[in-house]
Amino acid sequence: MNRKNDRIIVAIIAVLLGILAGAVIILILGKNPLSVYYSLLRGSGLAPKAKYAGGKNMLSDFSNFLDFITSMIFAALAVAVALKTGLFNIGVSGQMLVGGFIATVLIGYSGLPAFGAKPLVILVAAAGGGVIGALIGFLKYRFNINEVVSSIMLNYIASYITGFLINTRYVDPQTRQSKDINAAACLTLHEVRIGSAKYDIPLGFILAVIVIFAVAFLFDKTVFGFELKAVGLNREAARYMGINVRKSMVVSMLISGLLAGIAGATYYLGYITTIQPKVLPSIGFDAIAVCLVGGSSPIGIFFSAFFLMIISKGSTYMSSQMGLEAEISSVIMGLILLTCACSTFILPLMYKFRSRKEKGEVKA
Amino acid sequence: MNMLNNIIINGMIFALPLFIMAVGGIYSERSGVTNLALEGLQGFGAFTGALVAYSLTGYFGSESSVPVYFAMIFAMLGGMLFSLLHAVLCNYFKANMVISGVVINILAMALTTFLTKTINKNVFGAASDKFVLGIMKRFSVPGLSEIPVLGAFFTNMYMFEIVIVILAFITWYLLYKSSFGLHLRAAGDNPAAVDAAGVDVIKVRYIAVMISGALSGLAGICFAYSISAKFSSDIYMGFGYLSIAALIFGGWKIMPTLGACLIFGFARSAGYQLVQKIGLPSAYSDLVMILPYVLTLVMLIFLAGNSQAPKALGEAYDKSKR
Repeated sequence: MNRKNDRIIVAIIAVLLGILAGAVIILILGKNPLSVYYSLLRGSGLAPKAKYAGGKNMLSDFSNFLDFITSMIFAALAVAVALKTGLFNIGVSGQMLVGGFIATVLIGYSGLPAFGAKPLVILVAAAGGGVIGALIGFLKYRFNINEVVSSIMLNYIASYITGFLINTRYVDPQTRQSKDINAAACLTLHEVRIGSAKYDIPLGFILAVIVIFAVAFLFDKTVFGFELKAVGLNREAARYMGINVRKSMVVSMLISGLLAGIAGATYYLGYITTIQPKVLPSIGFDAIAVCLVGGSSPIGIFFSAFFLMIISKGSTYMSSQMGLEAEISSVIMGLILLTCACSTFILPLMYKFRSRKEKGEVKA
Repeated sequence: MNMLNNIIINGMIFALPLFIMAVGGIYSERSGVTNLALEGLQGFGAFTGALVAYSLTGYFGSESSVPVYFAMIFAMLGGMLFSLLHAVLCNYFKANMVISGVVINILAMALTTFLTKTINKNVFGAASDKFVLGIMKRFSVPGLSEIPVLGAFFTNMYMFEIVIVILAFITWYLLYKSSFGLHLRAAGDNPAAVDAAGVDVIKVRYIAVMISGALSGLAGICFAYSISAKFSSDIYMGFGYLSIAALIFGGWKIMPTLGACLIFGFARSAGYQLVQKIGLPSAYSDLVMILPYVLTLVMLIFLAGNSQAPKALGEAYDKSKR
């Protein structure tokens, strides 16, 4: 067994422990954890519901689920790129908001035709998020400001400024959210009728799969990616090797911000089509859990996004069916995060256990 | 004149809880445990305090100030209890302290939001996402409040301001004048030496983190009373991170940190007064809201690499590496 497999096992153990702890809470509240978890699956289109509204079926729920995890994949990749370089980008939410907001205002309301608008949405949002990300990297590079503190500050600044602009200029007086974007600029084709049912077709999902491989290629096959990783593993050693550590940190935050911006585009101009003022998307924080469970590896992130988002996505349906508050899903996510944070502890424990077993075998 | 008074009064109400939370952060970080969990700790403390106060209000009546005292005590206990999680993760599980802190914040936010809704529904029989708190009484110190300008510091005070000032003196003495404080400060700079002197480094760090939890919890319930007179997920406004910025700016020392907190407090209240004075629409107060955050960044920029962080900050103590 190699170390990669070990990490996968640790991730699975962490998730199982989190789910188990969640089950205990559900039990205390007098509900059946199994049916709660099963209704999460149903809400994500992975298990059949008892009945469907018109134009809906399991597959259309699943298409909506894929739409949802598209943003998550980008957001978690954003966390991962920074984390590989030893930086903790907790500002993904703010970068998503800025990217999504600028794209909404510049492209979403512009009336450009679809073939021009859709790529532009991604580019503009990526640029918006990238600028914020690079700013955090620059503050770290130039002034040695802890990236966690600066990104939290920028989160709040972004949320208040975009909230102010939406409330004064772009608000829809009925919904109290920003006005709907034009369908041409939307990255998800909503309610496309195929046969008897309507599906949401997330164009961003294809891009997400491509970007997963691109990021994997960057870190596994290029010198530049190797340098970023080296900075993350040991800054002093990297400097000794002649790597420009500070430049690497800025560039890594720039890439992280770009990805967060695209996450914002696929969320605000895809999964939903408006922005709620002064609210940071929870995806940006859940992305940390997805990234840690996925072991910061792009392929790992794909699978962990898929499994963890069942908990988020299914929570609304579960809440309506089981009478349990939907927030239980974020509690379970938090518990999974907690066990993941302890994974540095689980791994040595596993080695100890294994070496003891091997010794036993030798004796026998 | 009246405007200056208001700036001072409201500035102190915001600055003091921020300060006492930062003092907690100083305790934790001087002992060597990076503490980004302040945000979550103040939220969880505010939750337990508000829950107790909310339950007691029915018993004592809304006029009584007894629930307020209980709220403050239980907020400190709640914050302390939740901080144990951070202490265990950092000291026993040797988790990455930055990640642990952020995880604690996310968990606190999720847990308190969920529990508030669930308890409201199952115990109090009402669908609500908040605990409404009574009004905390305010008072002016007779005589002192008559002094021109400076009198504003003694006018319209909350009871918690007195508590915080007293605690500030105690914590200052404990950190700088007692042998425990010496061990604590040394544990963050050279834990091996502390260990060699026969003091249990891990124990010191546990106590330090728990103190920071208790002080954060107190700050949380003060914010809950003074800002909105209720507990809801609005408590997570990033004040925990603001206080971290303040303590970094204060160079991990108590007195300079107080200065930083006062700047935050007065900048915030001055901004609000300005919006009111000019008579701008309420949407513009959102722009004022960003003031403390912008100020934090600006202050940190001016600090520029001149930080005197404890030398062993963020490293789990490993006896075998001595």
